[in-house]
Amino acid sequence: MKSDYIIETENLARYYEVGGEIIKALNGVDLKVRRGEYLSIVGPSGSGKTTLFNMIGGLDRPTRGRVVIDGVDVSQLDAYELAWLRCRKIGYIFQTFNLIETLTALENVALPTIFAGVPRAEGTKKAEIFLKTVGLDQRLNHKPSELSAGQQQRVAIARAMANDPSIILADEPTGNLDLHTGTEIINLIRDLNKTRGMTVIAATHDLKMIEVSDRVIWMRDGEIEKIETEEAALKE
Amino acid sequence: MKRGKEVKTIKFSWADAFRFGYDNIKRRFHRTRIVLAAVTLGIAFFSTLYFTDAFFKVYAQMEGGSLRVENYQYWLVFVSLIVSVVSITNSMLIAVYERYREIGTMKCLGALDQHILKLFLVESIILALVGGTLGFGVGLVASVISCSFIISFKVFLQAPISVFLTLLGEAVFLSVILSAAATLYPAYKAAKLNPVEALRHEI
Repeated sequence: MKSDYIIETENLARYYEVGGEIIKALNGVDLKVRRGEYLSIVGPSGSGKTTLFNMIGGLDRPTRGRVVIDGVDVSQLDAYELAWLRCRKIGYIFQTFNLIETLTALENVALPTIFAGVPRAEGTKKAEIFLKTVGLDQRLNHKPSELSAGQQQRVAIARAMANDPSIILADEPTGNLDLHTGTEIINLIRDLNKTRGMTVIAATHDLKMIEVSDRVIWMRDGEIEKIETEEAALKE
Repeated sequence: MKRGKEVKTIKFSWADAFRFGYDNIKRRFHRTRIVLAAVTLGIAFFSTLYFTDAFFKVYAQMEGGSLRVENYQYWLVFVSLIVSVVSITNSMLIAVYERYREIGTMKCLGALDQHILKLFLVESIILALVGGTLGFGVGLVASVISCSFIISFKVFLQAPISVFLTLLGEAVFLSVILSAAATLYPAYKAAKLNPVEALRHEI
């Protein structure tokens, strides 16, 4: 039977050694994320948000504790299974978009489908549909450098959706955008969360993002300070 | 609903790698032409010498005489090929460095280490095929020009076609082997990049 939680972390910790000193980027985080939930993670820089992201995204291995995604302990996976997880289960959205400069919008969105083994024509078709969903059907063959910041982030969102992942990880997705564009992007992500049932975890400083969240997690010094629902978070 | 056991596959075929490699070379031509130049020059030098040798042999058969390529000239070719390899490695290392974020992104999207390795190797092999052929052509022209001062022009027409074909094969083969060897370390370095660090990288 499927668990109600798509992501569970238990006593998750990640220590780094920098110049002989141990930095506790994450220090015992217990978190349960429900399927289809929209979760925001808030905290000052250095609070461990990005480290938590990397752990959930299967990009980094914990020093202690574990991350369970869809009932699978990520630390038990080998490189091949981890790549599969990143490819099929998780969609990443970055603050800096991280589109591949030499590829067109369409090629960027189709890229994850290549790794997923989708036939090329089908992958391109899917990419077209997703670009249409994010409102960029007139910009299919533009390179990232020919697109505005907001449009680039839309391409990145379409790319994150390309393999129909169950989880979207967004690390400060509005950090490089102006207020208006940022709001559009937030609404777009929220919309995908609602209509497609994708679980969204977003690290943010942006109040607008907190407004649309189901729950808000406050982090400090590698630990969860408190978990609140959206109303309580906005009162502060 | 009961779900069958999912078959987990991640793919990046040689055909995909060739398509990507070719696109990359085309779209980053300002960078790749340095590698191309290194391959072309090394192979051109190699071809010049071996063509000269072949022409001298034909000349010896036709007219007698003892024209031959000196041993030290082969050493020069050897050294120039080493220089080519070093400059290819150097350019490829810079290319990897420039593409840190791209590599990190690809890994986030599901690329395996071996896919990144494949991508860089294929790029260098494509450049080697082009550079090897170009080098062969440049070498042929250069050897004809330099030999024409010493031997009569009809020698070139008398040279059997098999000489040209063999040398073309050798030039391209050598170019592919050298480029692949030169790219192995940069490509391995790229493949082993930790995606977290690669994404944090700013040029």
